[in-house]
Amino acid sequence: MDNMGFLFAANAFVWGGIIYYVYTLKQRNRALEKDLDLLKETLSKEG
Amino acid sequence: MMNPDEVEEKQEEGNILVWLTGSAWLAAIIGIFIYAPTERTEGLIQRIMYFHIPCAWLSFFAFFVVFICSILFLWKKDREWDIYAHASAEIGVIFCSLVLITGPIWARPIWGAWWVWDSRLTSTLILWIIYVAYLMLRAQSDAGSMRARYAAVLGIVGFLDIPLIHFSVLWWRSFHPQPKVITSEGIGKGMDPSMLATLGVSLCAFTLLYFLLMGERVRQEKLKDEIDRLKREKLYSS
Repeated sequence: MDNMGFLFAANAFVWGGIIYYVYTLKQRNRALEKDLDLLKETLSKEG
Repeated sequence: MMNPDEVEEKQEEGNILVWLTGSAWLAAIIGIFIYAPTERTEGLIQRIMYFHIPCAWLSFFAFFVVFICSILFLWKKDREWDIYAHASAEIGVIFCSLVLITGPIWARPIWGAWWVWDSRLTSTLILWIIYVAYLMLRAQSDAGSMRARYAAVLGIVGFLDIPLIHFSVLWWRSFHPQPKVITSEGIGKGMDPSMLATLGVSLCAFTLLYFLLMGERVRQEKLKDEIDRLKREKLYSS
């Protein structure tokens, strides 16, 4: 097969890059949602 | 704040977009690896085109959104436009990075070199540097309208590089192939119809992905704003 390694490498970078970005985006959003809930809870307790 | 009905409606829209994007990606993968024929001179490596061109399209589209939103922000002074510009710039940089990675991987077996200081490659690298600087400016300086204003100006100026990238292969001698999709003879005249169809599906899949990523990235900025607002409220009330 001609240049199969190069094709594989390009695919790996594209897929890897997209999956990593989506994963970090989801993680960051989840952490922020948790912070927001905590903050709201603290504020409601303080009245 | 949105009411529960609005939240549910938004979630439903988000789910439809996820399904559409997933289906488009599946169709694109089938097209790239099964349906599209192998190119005669370059062989299998030419299939990188179905990722390389959509990544370039997506980054140009993302920077176009930055350009429009930056103009609207400077005009209307509405934080909403600044959020969209920031989110789009980040996505644009990610996909511009993928262009600069997949390009050399394609070039190595075809040109015999990973990189040449050719007009198209150099102007694309400059575009990437401009928008990395844009993100650094946003990350380094204090939050506020001045930061947003400086970023908006950089977002507008940076976009001017894109027409230069497009026309560079026509204006100067270049290693990079001439445009094959939009040519002087018409759209897609320089390509096999099955290759053109596969590229079209791949372009759709990447465009849908852009809207999906934008939704998540914009939500992130809005969550940050909400946290800041509540912290300020708490500070002033105590």
